[in-house]
Amino acid sequence: MEELSLIRLAQEGDTLAFRSLFDENKQQVFSIAFHYLKNAEDAEDVLQDTFIKAYHALHKYSPEKGVNFGCWLNRICVNASIDALRRNKVREAHSLDTEEVVDVRANSPRSNPEKTALDKEIRGKIDQALNKLSPKQRMIFILRHYQEYNTREIAEYMNSTEGSVKKHLFRAVDTIKRRLRRLIMENDYGL
Amino acid sequence: MDCNKAKNLITLYLYGELDEKDRAILEGHVRECLACAAELAYTKKVFKLLDEHKPAAAPEPDWESAWQRIHSVISGKPANDKAPLFPRWSWIYAGSAIAAVLILGIVIGKYWFAPAQKLVQTASQMAPSPASLQPALSSHLDDIKPMLLEYAHYTAGDQVTKKIVIDEKIVRGLLLQNLLLKRMLVEKDPAAAELLDDLDLVLKEIANQPSQDRQAPSQIKDLIDQRGILFKMEILKTL
Repeated sequence: MEELSLIRLAQEGDTLAFRSLFDENKQQVFSIAFHYLKNAEDAEDVLQDTFIKAYHALHKYSPEKGVNFGCWLNRICVNASIDALRRNKVREAHSLDTEEVVDVRANSPRSNPEKTALDKEIRGKIDQALNKLSPKQRMIFILRHYQEYNTREIAEYMNSTEGSVKKHLFRAVDTIKRRLRRLIMENDYGL
Repeated sequence: MDCNKAKNLITLYLYGELDEKDRAILEGHVRECLACAAELAYTKKVFKLLDEHKPAAAPEPDWESAWQRIHSVISGKPANDKAPLFPRWSWIYAGSAIAAVLILGIVIGKYWFAPAQKLVQTASQMAPSPASLQPALSSHLDDIKPMLLEYAHYTAGDQVTKKIVIDEKIVRGLLLQNLLLKRMLVEKDPAAAELLDDLDLVLKEIANQPSQDRQAPSQIKDLIDQRGILFKMEILKTL
């Protein structure tokens, strides 16, 4: 069934139609929250928060305004994720999920223990650099670098202007560059 | 271009966010300025490092329990896994209440707002006729029938071989299709609307049946039998 029909039915209170909208968009919403919060449990909270807020605000959503439903949901998810980080509800340090993935890689037969240790160190440094960004800068950087949205889309999600997003993106990258300079120089990375 | 501006543009350049003019200006500047060329090279290294050490892929959450928690909030019910498994009577009550409101509305509209009758007629003339909806209805019944037959032929006993596996997504799709057809046929074709009403009930039971409940298929089978749904479907197809 078409997304528009589902939205109309959901606006009339049809939770089954809303379930279909959830199924269509859940992966994207969860991915943004997870990469931003670096924790599966918190990302699940944001996922639920996003869809509950979306359901209650569905009457305000109008496809005629030119914003597609996925974009509208992403906007709610971005705000919910930033709020979650600001409320300090999330664990800022390396999450268990990241550690688990590193361990799995370390146990694979083709893994090189030295390289694995270095990879882990680098990931740790990158996480530290990301933790130094403001919540807004961090979100903009993650959406641009890892989720590969362009600055125009990010401006829509963040209810901001493209110019402001570019400025924050530049500052975020600048901070990361400064934080990683030592690591890159010491390891002569990429030369 | 001064070096400060060039430094600002390098990030956007690497993300492909510069327009053609700015890109050309930056490339020209970098060819002539060693400091900015070094900055560009360093930024590329940082991007390479970030790309080679991307965060772990997002794990797959338990979508079903996430949805159940969302559903319990949006439907106004407290989150409770041990909630009644078959809230069928609440649907019947809700359906009856909606039907009563609709009938009341029609009666009031007919006797109290006679001038509006012309408008209603015009609107109904524009709506699709039952004949034009017949192919859609027929295809809908064909979609549902195999699943209903599975339940109708279900015999309790050998639970392993007799387990009925249903794709919940498909059931939800059929439910929505059923709802739309019912809305379009409710006044035009009462017999079809009645059948769609019965199907609505059965599909909701199927959609909400807990996978662990061994009684569920028998209950659905009984519902199909009691309401003579397969018989009604055959009759409707021959008309």
